[in-house]
Amino acid sequence: MSQSQSKKSELVSKLTDTLLVPTLAIVTAIVLGGIIIAFVGGNPFAAYAGLLEGAFGSLKGISETAVWSTPYIFAGLAVALAFKGGLFNIGGEGQLALGATTSAWVGYALPDLLGVELPMVIHLPLAILTGMAVGFLWGAIPGALKAYTGAHEVINTIMMNYIALNIVSYLMNGPFKDKNPLNVIARTPLIAESARIPPLFDGLRVHWGFILALAMAYGVWWLLWKTNLGFEIRTVGANPEAAKYAGINVKKIMTLSLGLSGMLAGLAGTVEVTALNYRHELGFSQGYGFDAIAIALLGKNHPLGVVLAAILFAAMRNGATRMQFLTQIPVDIISVVQALILLFVAADAIVRYLYRIKQSDEKVVLTRGWGG
Amino acid sequence: MKKQYTVFAILLIASMLLTACGAPAAADCKSEELFCVGMVTDVGKIDDKSFNQSAWEGVKKAEAELGAKVQYIETTDAKDYDKNIATFADEGYDVIVTVGFALGEATTKAAGLYPDVDFIGVDQFLQTTLVNQTGLNFPEDIAGFLAGALAAQMTKTGNIGAVLATDAVPPVWRFGEGYRAGALYVNPDIEINIVYHNDVGFDKTFVDPEWGATTTNSMADKGVDVIFGAGGKTGNGALIAAAQKGVYAIGVDTDQYNTVPEAQSKLLTSAMKNITVGVFDLIKLSKEGKLPAGNFFGTASLAPYHDVDADVSAEVRAKMAEIEAGLLDGSIKTNVPPVKP
Repeated sequence: MSQSQSKKSELVSKLTDTLLVPTLAIVTAIVLGGIIIAFVGGNPFAAYAGLLEGAFGSLKGISETAVWSTPYIFAGLAVALAFKGGLFNIGGEGQLALGATTSAWVGYALPDLLGVELPMVIHLPLAILTGMAVGFLWGAIPGALKAYTGAHEVINTIMMNYIALNIVSYLMNGPFKDKNPLNVIARTPLIAESARIPPLFDGLRVHWGFILALAMAYGVWWLLWKTNLGFEIRTVGANPEAAKYAGINVKKIMTLSLGLSGMLAGLAGTVEVTALNYRHELGFSQGYGFDAIAIALLGKNHPLGVVLAAILFAAMRNGATRMQFLTQIPVDIISVVQALILLFVAADAIVRYLYRIKQSDEKVVLTRGWGG
Repeated sequence: MKKQYTVFAILLIASMLLTACGAPAAADCKSEELFCVGMVTDVGKIDDKSFNQSAWEGVKKAEAELGAKVQYIETTDAKDYDKNIATFADEGYDVIVTVGFALGEATTKAAGLYPDVDFIGVDQFLQTTLVNQTGLNFPEDIAGFLAGALAAQMTKTGNIGAVLATDAVPPVWRFGEGYRAGALYVNPDIEINIVYHNDVGFDKTFVDPEWGATTTNSMADKGVDVIFGAGGKTGNGALIAAAQKGVYAIGVDTDQYNTVPEAQSKLLTSAMKNITVGVFDLIKLSKEGKLPAGNFFGTASLAPYHDVDADVSAEVRAKMAEIEAGLLDGSIKTNVPPVKP
């Protein structure tokens, strides 16, 4: 066997190793979900057929799947990036809400405030960058607390969620609320046309934000594996002690990792506002920040994996409507399947035991304990 | 190792093939003969024992009595409103019922996009009139008036109360003012305590049962012996606390005897919006090609007395029947404006 061939087969075996457990986890979850559907009196084949048809069976369906996957990709990348830096960002929900709120404000209030009509080339980037900046800040605070005081980021990102959601609740009910007397809902006015991300095609809701999400996935990959900063993030994530002795400024990198993670989560909220809803409304996020953790885990914290996992979750969420329309099987079954996927990915020993797969030598350390 | 992969691959392919064949043949709503009614819920379940369920019962009645083909979709995320409505419209459904205030905008948008489909929006007060769209609203003031009139007759202390969510939502305020008017109609000297949960935001005011319970407890301690609780979980908290304190509770929207079992022992009645009837009537009108465009007012009534039936004297019943008739023929007016002035 020549050397190049062995290298190639090594790559293939590495790839199958990486993909094997998530794929088997998904399939096992789908089969188990099917058994549950059958158990409650439905036809699992009709259900999954409806799901597929809804998610990919028409142009509209594909478009909606892309729409759903956009916030999942951003938020999934956010969690994955933090994991790579050895940090667990549970604060996606708060970062996302604040990013959405502030970019909505830039979108509707800034032109009036300045008394000028802003051209789209200035207004839209400004709205997006504001959301990213606020998300960055909201991630960097627990990052800095971890780096400089040792306060655990899991606790602090959760705390920051509460602070963010209450700030947003206050703003939505008070200063940022749509002043139209007919409006009783806690939401902002519509953002200006110049702050809206345009759709990709006429008549479909899929927008340039989806392309931005894919580009951002490439960007995160490039950052992590092609730049010095990415190398430093990964080194700190793998072993902060070693990173310190290698001359890396661990504290700075930790702050930056969670900051960048928060920035991506903020972007998830920003894009929902500027490309889809054109306003921010209280309670618009049905837990993207938390679903993102499942997506990052399923995607093995690799940007490509995150994109695939996000599309899978989006297809299930989107296709569920069609499934219910055709078969009257409750949409909640999708949450059950998603939870099973997460269970099998997180506790991969179950999958390895079921399919008799040997444990690979490499052990993934997601986060370290209190001492880390 | 290899063998297991093969078995696995076969299973996978087999399941895919089976999936492909399993697609059911959809009955055709596009044809003229078949009358189809679809319903889109607000974020929530079809069997929520509240708005969604009441509306669905109206749709089911259309299935039984008008021979309609009916179907529903449960919304899981607000961004799916448009998509869920379009799912029915694209399949050629004749009537689409959307439930709840929050779907109002999406419904109006869809009514413009699909002029051949009739839209019925439950609890949606319309600003614009489209020939194929009706907003089904309810006279909360009348429901509240009946509750207040009953409360004023049932109290022994001459002191009644209402624990309500925010008065910034017009229907809640109209329940409260109707309650006040009804009580004063029966007894001009009665003492009325109406408390709104205005001190918190919109996201909290309907989902704060603890506040509802503590407010009810302090009212009961001050001698209030009938309490009207309205406003989602906040109102439910008030009902449960009232029952625990041993004072009468009055529910709202639907017969809460079914939704708040903890309060059954002291639940006097509920100020109901007759959603099921309203939805069915509008579907029927649509089938006859006579959908009333714009805002349509349904009816309101009180729920049965259930467990406390024996407490309500024949005299009170007669008086209530008289008031109900008076409200219906217009000889009694609640004098509650549509929105808080």
